[in-house]
Amino acid sequence: MPYPILDPTGTTATVPRTPRAPRAPRRRDLRGATVGLLVNTKQNAAPFLDEVGRLLVQQHGAAGTMARTKVNFAAPAPDDLVKEMTTGCEVIITGIGDCGSCSASAVADGIAFEAAGLPAAAICSDAFRVTADAMAELRGVPGYRYATTPHPVAVLTPDQVKQRAAQVLDDVMNLLTEPE
Amino acid sequence: MTQTPDPEEAQAAIEYCYAQGWSDGLPLVPASQPLIDKFLATTSKDPDEVIGELEQVGRNCTVYLAAINAAMAGCLPEYFPVVLAAFDALMRERAARGGGWQSTSGPAPMIVVNGPVRHELGFNTAGGAFGPGFRPNATVARAIGLIVRNAFGIRPHVLEQATQGLPGRWAICLAENEEESPWPPFAIDGGQPAGVSAVSATLLRTCEFVDNRHTPDPEQVLWDVADTISRTGSLIFRDTSAGVVFCPEHAQMLAKAGYTKADVQAWLIEHCGRTGADLRRAGKNGLRGIARFADADTSADDTFTRILPSPRHVPIVVAGARNAAISMVVRIFGEWSGTATKVTK
Repeated sequence: MPYPILDPTGTTATVPRTPRAPRAPRRRDLRGATVGLLVNTKQNAAPFLDEVGRLLVQQHGAAGTMARTKVNFAAPAPDDLVKEMTTGCEVIITGIGDCGSCSASAVADGIAFEAAGLPAAAICSDAFRVTADAMAELRGVPGYRYATTPHPVAVLTPDQVKQRAAQVLDDVMNLLTEPE
Repeated sequence: MTQTPDPEEAQAAIEYCYAQGWSDGLPLVPASQPLIDKFLATTSKDPDEVIGELEQVGRNCTVYLAAINAAMAGCLPEYFPVVLAAFDALMRERAARGGGWQSTSGPAPMIVVNGPVRHELGFNTAGGAFGPGFRPNATVARAIGLIVRNAFGIRPHVLEQATQGLPGRWAICLAENEEESPWPPFAIDGGQPAGVSAVSATLLRTCEFVDNRHTPDPEQVLWDVADTISRTGSLIFRDTSAGVVFCPEHAQMLAKAGYTKADVQAWLIEHCGRTGADLRRAGKNGLRGIARFADADTSADDTFTRILPSPRHVPIVVAGARNAAISMVVRIFGEWSGTATKVTK
């Protein structure tokens, strides 16, 4: 066989295997912690994360929240935003991953904050598990854990959003405080 | 008996490509180095030049990878400059550099080829403009799909999350029917001089026909087009963008009545839209940021809301045969960059 069939992906030749990204050390609890809320502009993302933050303050003694909005939901959070939130917060919640690109990027943000030293919990709609997992693998963290809430999120009423936030709260706490 | 290539060898090579996960579902042409060398010989670009990057997934496409994917799509080497121009034009779209390929919308590139290269390479410029049946049109569009799948690594059900996708996702490459168009070529709207070969591209959410062949009144045709552009199902943001691929008959009727492209665009900007009551009925009368949502407020029910913000949001192309008055509304995902890329050797 004189010539091999060429590979159209370029992955074997050019992209080195990403080393496993670091995971931030866990806190014992959230008492006195400022909770960063990275909102991705998807419908209901802001009230959902606000409510999760409110419950963490009310039930788990967090000091308060710092909410920031990521304008481009499809892309990972810009470096200056990661830096600002890393300086001002002790833990991070990102979401809501509720579309093809933003679920993947919510997980990518969680992984970026872990690397910056902050425990992070990404929240995705359960319809986007596969794409969220694929992004985690791309970022060198296969099996990365995140919280899910049932699809759909965008059509929920304000009261339903609060119920969903309450339902996901234990998972978020575990992600932020449980050692691996 | 004429000697043919060995079909069993060919079948084995095709199955090998399937087994690697490279295919879009149809057979691929197995690419060898001598074949790729012929592709690379058609361009002065360095094979290692990066021609597109998808930051969020950490992948890029080089000229070399584009050549392999174009070959696998079934392109002839001489099509390669058109593939490179189409990819360049597409990567000028914000959506194509962002999350468009991963989107639940599953958008399709629409590629428009202008200039002498259409005839030099045998592009179909007449009937059946949206395909299929013609190798340059079919394989240039398919090459883009394979680049997204293989070089960017965006595969269905994994990083690609199209809910339903749309027909012809990697198959829409129009060569404008410049010969029967009454208006200047589309590439001129994209900033290229007359007479050059150039490619324009954008992303579509769907194509919707407007069949209106029994009226002699150009304004009735425009009303019919406006109704299709204004349907509520496609309105998700404050602004929308919808192009029109006019058939030669509609275009000539409009031109004869004195309409330039700019006149048609201005007419559509003025007349496309819905009343507040229509939007409320469909749960789209409210605005949160730029996104439409259901608002119980009825106070704006009588207000007519326009939806096309500028001529760039209503690109106009002329394609197809002159055998019937059937045009196509092409629903744009995001917005067209407004630029065309010159085909360079």
